[in-house]
Amino acid sequence: MSNNYEEEIRNMVSEILEIPIDKLTPDADFFRDLNIDSLKAIEIVAAFEKKYRIIIPEQDIPKIRNLRQVVEYTAPLNKEPLS
Amino acid sequence: MKDRRIVITGLGVIAPNGTGKEEYWHALKEGRSGIKRVKRFDTGQFKCKLAGEIDNFTPAKFLGQKGLRDLERTSRLLCSAAKLAIEDAGLSINHENTDDIGVCTGTTLSSLWNFAQFDKETIQEGPLFTNVALFPGTVMNAASSQVSIRFNIQGFNTTISNGYSSSIDALKYAIDFIKLRRIKAVLVGGVESLSLVNYSGFYRLGFFAGINGEELSCPFDKRRNGIILGEGAAVVIIEDEEYARSRNAKIYAEVNGIGNCFEAYKMGKYHPGANGLKESIREALRTSEIGVSDIDYISASANSVPEQDRLETMAIKSVFGRYAYNIPVSSIKSMIGETFSAGGMFQIAATIGSMYKNFIPPTINYEMNDKDCDLDYVANKSRLTRINNVLINNYGPGGSNAAFILSKWH
Repeated sequence: MSNNYEEEIRNMVSEILEIPIDKLTPDADFFRDLNIDSLKAIEIVAAFEKKYRIIIPEQDIPKIRNLRQVVEYTAPLNKEPLS
Repeated sequence: MKDRRIVITGLGVIAPNGTGKEEYWHALKEGRSGIKRVKRFDTGQFKCKLAGEIDNFTPAKFLGQKGLRDLERTSRLLCSAAKLAIEDAGLSINHENTDDIGVCTGTTLSSLWNFAQFDKETIQEGPLFTNVALFPGTVMNAASSQVSIRFNIQGFNTTISNGYSSSIDALKYAIDFIKLRRIKAVLVGGVESLSLVNYSGFYRLGFFAGINGEELSCPFDKRRNGIILGEGAAVVIIEDEEYARSRNAKIYAEVNGIGNCFEAYKMGKYHPGANGLKESIREALRTSEIGVSDIDYISASANSVPEQDRLETMAIKSVFGRYAYNIPVSSIKSMIGETFSAGGMFQIAATIGSMYKNFIPPTINYEMNDKDCDLDYVANKSRLTRINNVLINNYGPGGSNAAFILSKWH
């Protein structure tokens, strides 16, 4: 997992959640700590799916609850981002 | 009608010629137009280039930065106007009164752009890769709902999409709710936003000024040849008088009479008798406490379309008889353009300014008389005079008509 990739994901999530990058720590729970709603969660998923042209199965979505899990889940799926 | 008095206690305006009530009123008094070359999109392929565009709008100033990402332009406009109105009314929304406050908004075209964007992405990116953030904005009631969400208003929320008369129809709906004692205060708004698709639609219908003549919004003038599209949002807060008094609110004006009438005729054609408009004005007078000679000013719906201005003139003469020649009539659409469903709310916001700043806004760009339009149109310069009762007309070729009488609060 490259730092560049992690940084890219972090920027994307920070932009969607309107949360400053420094507050978006790898382990901050989206729902409990960052207080995001279900629409925002779908938006994050959809942004990944669109950027990396992957489909995240419905049953996997609840497992991804913080930035670290996002990176860990998506990194193996994409060696090369498409955009 | 006077079982319950309903009053206006606050207003917020984001208009092409001014942001906030003072700037808006000042522009109207000076006869300053907000119509200019469109910047939001390329008009290169159109023969027309102008619109009442709001080009210096900074929503963060009213709403803060947080959450703006989720608001499309129409919601930004309406929420900003709502914020100004809530502040102006000194209305504190809290857990005790939130169920007693409602939102009612007139808008018709405003979601078209969001819909078009979402649709475009679905086709370009594929149906599995659309931007879901765009989806909530594709519905007609998006902007109205965002007002309730942002200001934590838990009472009813309704959108009226009735074309040209939406603002006053929304007002009537809200008034009825208050009369039925189902709500104490309502944020009544009107909003439309300018977009390439709206512009293209009206252009292709041949409805724009500049296609067959000069590109100018000149209501009642002989050269008139179509509309110039405008955008913006205006919100007024109406309340039960008792409620307004209980919280020591300042009161601008009183809702006096109101009438509306739908006359289905033909798609996009004016009924040659303007019967719906006449009936709306009569109903507004009938439900008010005043007579025809008490009307000090008529805020016209005239939008520089040849038929519209002629028929409104005819309807006014039909209802008011010879007295019609004594009443000043003007159209602020000469300065802000045709804001469609928001038009009535802009007229109400302008009229409150007239009552408190003692002026009648002019019909600007008025130079050539038309024998079919022979009333006193307050040409080019505002008129300084005291105003107590104003008739506001809303109508268009869609068949929906509404009229409203607003009276200064004494």
